[in-house]
Amino acid sequence: MEILLQQLFNGLTIGSVYALVALGLTLVYGILHIPNFAHGALYMMGGYITLTMMTSYGFHYWLAILVSMLVVGLLGVLMERFIFYPLREAPPIHDKIAAIGILLFLEAFAQFVWGADYQMMTSPYSQVINVLGLTFTLQRILIIVAAIVIMILLYVFLKKTFTGSTIIAMSQDREGANLVGINTHKVAMLTFMISGALAAVAASLAAPINLVFPGMGHLVILKAFVIIILGGMGSIPGAILGGYILGFSESLGATYISNDYKDIIAFVLLIVILSVKPTGLFAKGGH
Amino acid sequence: MKRSKFLFMVSFLFAVMLSLAACNQSSGGDTEEPSDSGSGDSGSEEVGTVNIGYSGPLSGPAAFYGERTLSGVQMAVDEINEEGNFEVDGKKYKLNVVALDDKYMPNEAAGNAQRLIQENKTPIVFTPHSGGVLAMQVFNEQQNFIIGAYTSEPKITEAGNSLTVRIPPRYDGYLEPFTKYAMEKHGKKIAFLPTASQYGKDWSEKLAPFWEKEGGEIVYNSSIDFAKDTDFFTLITNALKEDPDVLFIGGPSEPTAKLAAQARELGFEGGFIVMDQAKFDEMKRVTGSYDVLNGSIGVMPLVESDTPAIPQFVENYRAKFDEEPGSEAGLNYIGMHAFAEAMKAAGSVDDPKKIREAMKEGLANLPEEKKIYIIPGIGDDGGFESELIVAAVEDGKIVPIEAE
Repeated sequence: MEILLQQLFNGLTIGSVYALVALGLTLVYGILHIPNFAHGALYMMGGYITLTMMTSYGFHYWLAILVSMLVVGLLGVLMERFIFYPLREAPPIHDKIAAIGILLFLEAFAQFVWGADYQMMTSPYSQVINVLGLTFTLQRILIIVAAIVIMILLYVFLKKTFTGSTIIAMSQDREGANLVGINTHKVAMLTFMISGALAAVAASLAAPINLVFPGMGHLVILKAFVIIILGGMGSIPGAILGGYILGFSESLGATYISNDYKDIIAFVLLIVILSVKPTGLFAKGGH
Repeated sequence: MKRSKFLFMVSFLFAVMLSLAACNQSSGGDTEEPSDSGSGDSGSEEVGTVNIGYSGPLSGPAAFYGERTLSGVQMAVDEINEEGNFEVDGKKYKLNVVALDDKYMPNEAAGNAQRLIQENKTPIVFTPHSGGVLAMQVFNEQQNFIIGAYTSEPKITEAGNSLTVRIPPRYDGYLEPFTKYAMEKHGKKIAFLPTASQYGKDWSEKLAPFWEKEGGEIVYNSSIDFAKDTDFFTLITNALKEDPDVLFIGGPSEPTAKLAAQARELGFEGGFIVMDQAKFDEMKRVTGSYDVLNGSIGVMPLVESDTPAIPQFVENYRAKFDEEPGSEAGLNYIGMHAFAEAMKAAGSVDDPKKIREAMKEGLANLPEEKKIYIIPGIGDDGGFESELIVAAVEDGKIVPIEAE
C-alpha cells in the first residue's frame, strides 16, 4: 500500500512536469499546425537562464524563474517573428526543418556559453518530509502544486479573458479569426510567448531534482510529443490529461510490470488509445 | 520578392549555425591546424611536428567527458612543447593534438581514426570509450596506428590486438575489493541500479556472479538511463522495496550523485558500490558533502591521492582549465607523457610498432614530476599495470582502502 501511494506521488510529480511541457507544445501546434521540435531546447534554455540568474546575479529562486519565463518567452517570440512568420507561406516541411535547425542551434549555443558539463540548481526547498512512511520532498510538492496553479491560470486566461479567447479562435480557424478582426500576428506572438514561458517554468521546477545540461531537453520532448498525440494534437485538456497518464503509467508500470519495459508501456498505451480513438483523447476543435 | 527574402533568411540562419558550430569545435583545443607530419619549418634549426590524434565526444550529452579526457592529453602536449626538448633520434619535434568529435559513437570514431591517419598521419589515436576502441581495432593493425584506449573494459585487451594500449586499470580488478568491503560493512543484499550503457551492463554482468559466489543475494536488478529519465524516485522506490543493504550505482559522476542523494532522501541507510566511471570528488560537487556518500566504496579521486606529483599537477591543471582535474584528465595526461617517452626510447615518431615495443621503457623513463599515478609497467596485452587505488567514504571523509 505504501509503495502504491509512494509511486502515485512519484507519478504525479513527473506527470506534472510532462504536462507543463506538453501544454506549451500543444498551444503552438494549435496556432502553427506544426510540431515545434525546438520546444525541448526552450525547456533547456529555461533551465540555464534560471540557473544563471541564481548563481551569477544571486536572484531568489522565484525571481529567477520569473526572469527566465520572460527571457525564454521572448526567445519564443523571436523564433516566431524571424523564422516561422517568414515561413508561413512555405510548405509545412520547411517549418519542421526550421524547428530542427533551431533545436540544433540552441543546443550548440548552450554548450558554447555554459559548457557541456552537468550543473546543479539548488532550490531553497530541499527539505524532506516523511508522512505515514511516505517520502515527499518540498520541491516535489512544489512541482505538483505549481503545475496545478499554472494550469488553472492558463485555463482562466484562455476561457475568461478576451485575449485568451483570441488564441482559441485562431487555433480553431485562422482565417475566420482574421475575418472577425483578430490580429493574428499578435496572437501568434503571444502564443509563442506563453509556450516559451511554460517551458521555462517546467525546466526551472524540474531542474533541482535533476541537473542542468545541454541535452536536458531530450528528457522531456519525446514524451511531450507522445502526450500531445495521445491527448489530441492541439488540445489543452488533452495535454494535461496525457501528461498525468504518462507519468502514472511510467511509475506504476515500473513497479508492477517491469522497469525495463516502462517506456514500452507508454507507447503501447499510445497505440491502444489511437486505435480506439484515432484523433486522440480530445479531438481538436471543441476545446 | 518574398521568395528571395525567404531564401536569404534560410541561408543566413545556416551561416550563423555553421559559424557557431565552427566556434564550438575550435574551443575544444587548438585543432584543425593543418600541418604535415615531418615537414620541417624554414627556421635555422629544423623542428618537425608529430600529430597526436584524438576522437571522442566533444558535443552532445557526453561532451563534458570528452573534454576532460582531451584536456589531459592537451596538457601533456603543451608541457612537452613548452619544455622544448622533445628530441627523437637527434631531431627536435613539436607535438600537435588533432581532435575530432565522434559524438560518442563507435562508427564515427572509426571514421575519425581513418581521417586522422590519412590526413594527419597520427601514430597514436586516443579514444575514451570502449565502443570506439573496438571499432578501431578492426583495422588499426593493418593501417598501423596505436589506439590510446581510455577505457577500463577488459575485453579490449583480451582481443589480442598488438597496437592497443589500455591506460586505466581494468575494472574487473575492482570486483573483489568492492564486494569484500560492502559485504563486511553493510550486508549481503544488493540492488543493481547502474547506468544503462553497454559499459554499465558489462560491469553488472561481471559483478553479479562474483557477488553471488561470495554468498550474496541480488534483490533487484535494473538499470537507469540518464539520458531519458528526469526523475529517479520511481526506480529507487522499487529498489528499496526489496530492502537492500547495498546499492550498486554508476555512470557519469553528477547524475550518479543525484541518484545517491535521492536514495538517501527515500531513507536508504546502507552503502553504495560506485562503478569506476563515477568519481567521488565530482559527486561531492553535486551532493555538497561526502556525508551523503558515507559507506560507499569506489575509485580514489585523483585530488585525494597521496602521490607526490599530484599537488603540482592539480595546481597546473587548475590554472589552465579552471577546474579540478579528475582521473579522466590525469590518466590521459600520464598516458600521453608515457607515449612521448616511448617515442624517445624507440627513436621513432612514426613507427607505431617500435613505439609500442618501447612503451615499457617509456613508462620507466617518466620523470618523477609527471608520475601522478604509479604505473610500474605494461602487460603483454597492452594494459598499463597500474595499482588499483580504491577508496571508501567514512564519516564524511575519503579513506584509502588496501586493494589486495
